[in-house]
Amino acid sequence: MFWKFKRQVDTVFVDSNSADFHIESSVNVILSPSLYWVKKVSLPLQSLREVKPLLESLFEDMLPDGRYSYEAYKFGDEYFIFAYEDKYILDLLAQKGVPASKINGVYFAQNEFLHLEEAKKIDESEVILVKDDIVILLPAKFTAAQNMLDVTEIKLSKHRITLKQFGHILNEKSLYTIVALFVVLLLLVATEYIITLNKIDKLQTQRDNIFHKYALKPTMMQNRSLLKGYEESYKRQMQLRKVLGVVLGMHLKPKHKVKFIAYKNRKVTLHYSGLKKGDEGYIETYFRAKSLNYSAKYKNNIWYVEVKL
Amino acid sequence: MNRVNPLHIIILLIVLLAFVMLKLNAAKEELVDTKSSYNQTVVLADKIKGLKSSYFNKTKVQRTINKILRSSILRASNITEKVTNSSILLTSKNMNIRSLNFLLGKILNGNYIVSELQIKQLSDKKASLQLEIKW
Repeated sequence: MFWKFKRQVDTVFVDSNSADFHIESSVNVILSPSLYWVKKVSLPLQSLREVKPLLESLFEDMLPDGRYSYEAYKFGDEYFIFAYEDKYILDLLAQKGVPASKINGVYFAQNEFLHLEEAKKIDESEVILVKDDIVILLPAKFTAAQNMLDVTEIKLSKHRITLKQFGHILNEKSLYTIVALFVVLLLLVATEYIITLNKIDKLQTQRDNIFHKYALKPTMMQNRSLLKGYEESYKRQMQLRKVLGVVLGMHLKPKHKVKFIAYKNRKVTLHYSGLKKGDEGYIETYFRAKSLNYSAKYKNNIWYVEVKL
Repeated sequence: MNRVNPLHIIILLIVLLAFVMLKLNAAKEELVDTKSSYNQTVVLADKIKGLKSSYFNKTKVQRTINKILRSSILRASNITEKVTNSSILLTSKNMNIRSLNFLLGKILNGNYIVSELQIKQLSDKKASLQLEIKW
């Protein structure tokens, strides 16, 4: 079992004139009214969700140039609407000794001091007070405030904002668009990858089926060797048929005969009888015309011919 | 308040996309190889099947040779047939030229692997024959 202890987090009030802080652990930050713009508006809208898209236009022509974030909270039948510059505030906080990594939560003074009963000094020159439900800063000389603002025991509201550290690089909308684009691209590429893998798998299955159907040897090397053997046998048989076709198809002169025909070990042997030495000339001419690769010798009235396949 | 830099998210997505694209590229190359291998296998299988069924089919060779030997023209030739595991040997000590021409015509025009052949003329009309066919 795990026990989670609630950690006590200090709270600081930050104004552009605040002295530097020495922060050791995380702190909650209450932003001075000088660090944001606030308006109380009455809108014929029921929910915050409907209000938020209008915030930018509600501040139009009022804000100096900058990259602003907007926030809104309901206040009775009206709304408090805020505009603030994330980067400006973060830079100021860092400058005052509150780095982004040490910030636990950020709050508007407007929400935290709405019910302030009297003006309080934030330093020797300025006081904070509530006028017409808006928390404002005034020069100290305009009031008789004596007490300093104390935020050590303050109970913070639920209206907390998150400062966008990188909002100046890319606004959220553009980031979401780019991320969505990348995700779509990733999905498309990943889908094509899966389809390609399926195609490979299907082809390999079909290939395996061919091996099974044609009773092929397990490896392509064995099959190529088998085919080579078959093709060599086939080629030799065609050569044998060609040689026998030439020999048996030739018209020999009367008394000239083929006495013996043999084929073994890629060699065709022929014995011609009834020939006198020199008579074989017309047969040799015929063999050469038929491109037979032969060797011959004449011995004891027999003309011996050997054809290698 | 530590938030992720959007540029890091985009770089991560670019790296992820590049990785998946590399994988896709490799898969496509593998697909091309597999297709080529498949086509080669089909061609090889067809060739092997064609030659095997035509020239190296023991049952088929035996059946067709027996059919030839049963022919009336060869009855008088006393052809003996000796079948081994890998071949069939036909022998006739004395057969007439007409029967020899008939038998040689059938064998040489058919799909047979002639491994040995020996024809010896005995007279003008007679010859001896030894013929081995393999599968």
